[in-house]
Amino acid sequence: MMTVIGWLIGLGMFALMAILVVHVLFALLLIVPSWRIFERAGFSGLLALFHLVPVVGPFIVMAILAFSDWPNGEGRPQPAPQ
Amino acid sequence: MIMGFDIAALLGLFGLTSAFALVALVLAGWMCWRIAEKAGVPGWAGAAAILLTLTGIGSLISLILLWVFAFMRWPRDTLALAGGPAMRAGPAATPPPAPGALPPPPKALADRRGWTLTGAGVTLAFDDSRAAYTLTGEAGGPDALVVPDPSVGRPHARLLTASGRIGLQDLGSPGGTFIDGARLLPAHGPRDITAVRTIKVGNVELALART
Repeated sequence: MMTVIGWLIGLGMFALMAILVVHVLFALLLIVPSWRIFERAGFSGLLALFHLVPVVGPFIVMAILAFSDWPNGEGRPQPAPQ
Repeated sequence: MIMGFDIAALLGLFGLTSAFALVALVLAGWMCWRIAEKAGVPGWAGAAAILLTLTGIGSLISLILLWVFAFMRWPRDTLALAGGPAMRAGPAATPPPAPGALPPPPKALADRRGWTLTGAGVTLAFDDSRAAYTLTGEAGGPDALVVPDPSVGRPHARLLTASGRIGLQDLGSPGGTFIDGARLLPAHGPRDITAVRTIKVGNVELALART
């Protein structure tokens, strides 16, 4: 019985580690470009680490970029040539 | 009967999940619309990038588009300091377009620290006390920023300052001028380089930083 429980705990830990590693790897794919976008906008690139927050992380990042004034200035769509 | 309840519960769960997914999708599309506009890109392009996730391989495409957006040249960085007279200084300044075609001037920046250009053993410090500086290969006037290298023209390029921003204008030197690796031609006129990391004049790469 104890052996089975030990196996289950081991499997659970392995699954958790696997999920964690996959999450961090996928977050890295988002962190690198987001870091660059934050720096170009004039913020600290460290804000891109919000992508490490599960589920809502990307929404936090998007909200910061979408609803704050960019220190390096903001552009507007160019009007069509006349 | 029990199975019917199970199916109903599952459908309810999927319905709830779908509702959350729909709200998240709309919210993300709206925020990406705003982010794209702040970068000078049409807002619909940002929203469309998010809506692509509705397609089978859309998540991968959205990820690729995120990388493209992060490293592409933003229209915001294209100099459009129509309100800054210093940015229009110089003989190579392009004539103003027809009234109504001018984009609104970019926002002035509160950060008024100076800048440094560092590379090839030289550090050039400047601020917005002057409206224009000349990047040149040999000593010149008080506005000259000297990069002693044979590949740098005499003069080579003009640095313009206005409203806490800086612009760069190539003066047609054979060595060429580059912004973050992209060639700047005299025909491009002045370009906003406030947010760029490196410029290259001739063979000399200069890192741009705030003092």
